[in-house]
Amino acid sequence: MALLTVENVTKKFSGLTAVNAVNLTVDEGQIVGVIGPNGAGKTTLFNCIAGALAPSSGSIRFSGHEIAGKKPYEICQLGITRTFQVVKPFATKTVLYNTMVGAFATTNHLKEAEEKAIQVLEFLGLHKKKNVFAKSLTLPERKRLELARALATEPKLLLLDEVMAGLRPGEVTEMLPTIRKINQAGVTIVIVEHIMQAIMNLSEKIYVINFGKKIAEGEPLAVVSDPEVIKAYLGDEYVATQH
Amino acid sequence: MTFLSGQPPMVRNLTLLLLAGLFLLPTVVTSPSMLQIIILIIFYAYLTSSWNFVGGFAGVLPLGHSAFVGIGAYTSTLLYLTWGVSPWIGMLVGGLLASLVGLIIGLPTLKLRGAYFALATIAVGEGLRVLVENVEKVGPFEVRGPKGLLINLVEDAPLSAFQFQSKVPYYYIILVMLLAVLYLTHRMMNSKVGYYLAAGGEEPEAAEALGIKVSRYKLIAMAISCFLTAIGGSFYAQMFLYIYPKSIMGLELSYEIAFIALIGGRGTILGPVIGALLLRPVSDLTRIYLSSALPGLHLVIFGLVLIVVMRYQPKGLIVPLRHLFNRHIIPFLSRKNGKSDPVAPQKSE
Amino acid sequence: MLGFIESLLNGILMGSIYGLTAVGLTLIFGVMKVINFAHGSILMVGMYAAYWCVKLTGMNPYLTLLIVVPFLFCFGYALQRYVIKPIFDAEKDVREPITVIIVTTGIWYVLDNLAMIFFGAEYRVVQTSVTGKMIEFHEMYFSVAKLIGGGITLLCGVYLFWFLKHSRTGKAIRATSLDREAATLMGVNQSQIYNIAFGLGSACCGVAACVLIPFYYVYPTVGVPFDIKAFVIVVLGGLGSIPGAILGGIIIGIIETVGAQFMAATWTELLVYGFFLLVLFVKPSGLFGLRQDY
Repeated sequence: MALLTVENVTKKFSGLTAVNAVNLTVDEGQIVGVIGPNGAGKTTLFNCIAGALAPSSGSIRFSGHEIAGKKPYEICQLGITRTFQVVKPFATKTVLYNTMVGAFATTNHLKEAEEKAIQVLEFLGLHKKKNVFAKSLTLPERKRLELARALATEPKLLLLDEVMAGLRPGEVTEMLPTIRKINQAGVTIVIVEHIMQAIMNLSEKIYVINFGKKIAEGEPLAVVSDPEVIKAYLGDEYVATQH
Repeated sequence: MTFLSGQPPMVRNLTLLLLAGLFLLPTVVTSPSMLQIIILIIFYAYLTSSWNFVGGFAGVLPLGHSAFVGIGAYTSTLLYLTWGVSPWIGMLVGGLLASLVGLIIGLPTLKLRGAYFALATIAVGEGLRVLVENVEKVGPFEVRGPKGLLINLVEDAPLSAFQFQSKVPYYYIILVMLLAVLYLTHRMMNSKVGYYLAAGGEEPEAAEALGIKVSRYKLIAMAISCFLTAIGGSFYAQMFLYIYPKSIMGLELSYEIAFIALIGGRGTILGPVIGALLLRPVSDLTRIYLSSALPGLHLVIFGLVLIVVMRYQPKGLIVPLRHLFNRHIIPFLSRKNGKSDPVAPQKSE
Repeated sequence: MLGFIESLLNGILMGSIYGLTAVGLTLIFGVMKVINFAHGSILMVGMYAAYWCVKLTGMNPYLTLLIVVPFLFCFGYALQRYVIKPIFDAEKDVREPITVIIVTTGIWYVLDNLAMIFFGAEYRVVQTSVTGKMIEFHEMYFSVAKLIGGGITLLCGVYLFWFLKHSRTGKAIRATSLDREAATLMGVNQSQIYNIAFGLGSACCGVAACVLIPFYYVYPTVGVPFDIKAFVIVVLGGLGSIPGAILGGIIIGIIETVGAQFMAATWTELLVYGFFLLVLFVKPSGLFGLRQDY
């Protein structure tokens, strides 16, 4: 049984169908990428899975349980944690405090939360900055903190919303092994992304969304040469040039 | 007391000295009227520290908290006058009742914009006051509307009657109550509830994504706050032995509590206490000396101080005070003691 | 039955006055996302201003509109520009400008108590050409002052609605309330809009103040009941909605006067509070509420 099954999910906003009967499966341990041109509906789909929006129809099952329409905190408690494209650290608190907030998802005790948080920070290389206030961090560090916080909740599935957004190419390359490391530690990952280098490097399977519909699915290289995908990104004229 | 052990030795010693001084105070201050003034300062510090649970940590603005003072006072007093129930027990009943009312208000409003909550608290505060002012009798309870309730001073009252001839026992009771609330605040700040409230206050969306049902924790804070505030109300009733709606359920009291906490520094342990320490004497002095010529001047001063503080120190006066304390007073004292190293602050701002 | 209609119509008249006050409040909220707790105090200032105009010069109370409304506009404008703005700017990125709300509460306190110091606590009333005059219509009696008051406030409400919809400034105001950043990108000067919005909101109080003078007592805390009713109306009508505020005002006015047929005046106060809590429980976004905002 797949870890996450998105079945025929549709999301309408009075007249606009942002997500149109999308099907998606994620197996345990995979890194699955979701790409598509701007406005394709990836973020809306993402938000439906994360609980920020409720789908108009369709089902989303996680480990067999129906989660469509549940609230974000419920979804986190079930084992799915998401990060935000525009990072939202608790700016007036330290890196350690931020991470501990995540750690409290699995424990009620301060000491335990602190220990778990420190472990996560060490894993992600942020422990030297544990007493620094989040507002003093650089952008790549904040992204790392966002990951740490999410990881501290011990998720089975991690949803990354354009985690590379705003990073310079060098910073992107630095982020890749971190994400792989998280996956190797046993966390399944769904990553919505624009930056092709990241997606190609990380994903085992890619879904391509355009105008709310899934237009391609498969391994990275196959998807990238799919004519429909090329048409979606670059337009008709470029399809022929592939051969 | 873990929070004391985490502080540098100088702060620890000063705190212990302060506590000793507080407990020995009645031996030095023997004038009952002076003691009463001090009791009132501590009482307001208690009320604002209780308010702090919601106004400081839950990040909303309760402007009708006097309603809970009233609920506490009226519950314990009515139970005592009608059925002879000891005010110690009545106090707890009042606290629970206040928590219940607080939860009822909080349930729909704490998940909305802060403005709704603020308005709801004003509506409930004023509504409750008007209600009590218009009611003579409810079932077996003689509420007596605006005339208020009078408790008779009984000679040689037993301990259960919560009445004392001298002010001194009241002093110790309220001191212990204040210290208990401060300790509770510290414990809460360093617990899951505290962390979750802070997270929910700063970035509610992120908090929800981390598994936090923000409204639930705000409700917890509300329940605690209302309970503690009501107990304060019972204390007041037993101390002054006369309560009437305008005195303990009025908008003026609600505002004073909120203003003191805001000026002192909401969301911190000592902020409300500092606020009470600074503002109550100002209020009393202006009221005593200037009230005949300019009634309400102390309130104008309150309002102006609030505006000025919000403009320049929105987090409260405790911020510059703490800075002053850490940067100047502690090193100065350390140097006087012969220690050469300046003591760095242990806790983060 | 006739008594019922009489109180219904009286309720509409009084409600219209409440409504205009609420319109001012909801306008300020819509643009700045701030509940102006000092709104009632601004009304009080207007009432004292109108009172003194009439007392000292004996002019027709409705002529005071020409003086008090611009005065209150400037007063509100200045209040926003010099007192509130610096604090508002500091909280620009925060979701909820709580500090600003706190400051308006402080302003409320200062204004009410200054009035107490300068004017004393006594209830004042001024004799005008319309005070006490009644009109009879099919055996129902209406106070002339209330009729004129209700009429003027209703007209102002409608005019304000038209102004916001069609004038350039009005559109700028509406743009700012919908999306601050987008409006700035379109060339709208945010600060100026806030000042104007606050000024307009205060001007609404000015109209209400002048219209109340012929039949309402003036005293330092007169703003408080109006303030609270304005809050209730604004929540009822939906924060930020002007038609909601006018309609809400009328509903509250009706509840008050019809309620007074069945219970003592102080109980009608409770009725209004109770109604408010009911609305909060059932539909917090109000009748014409803008999109659910958390």
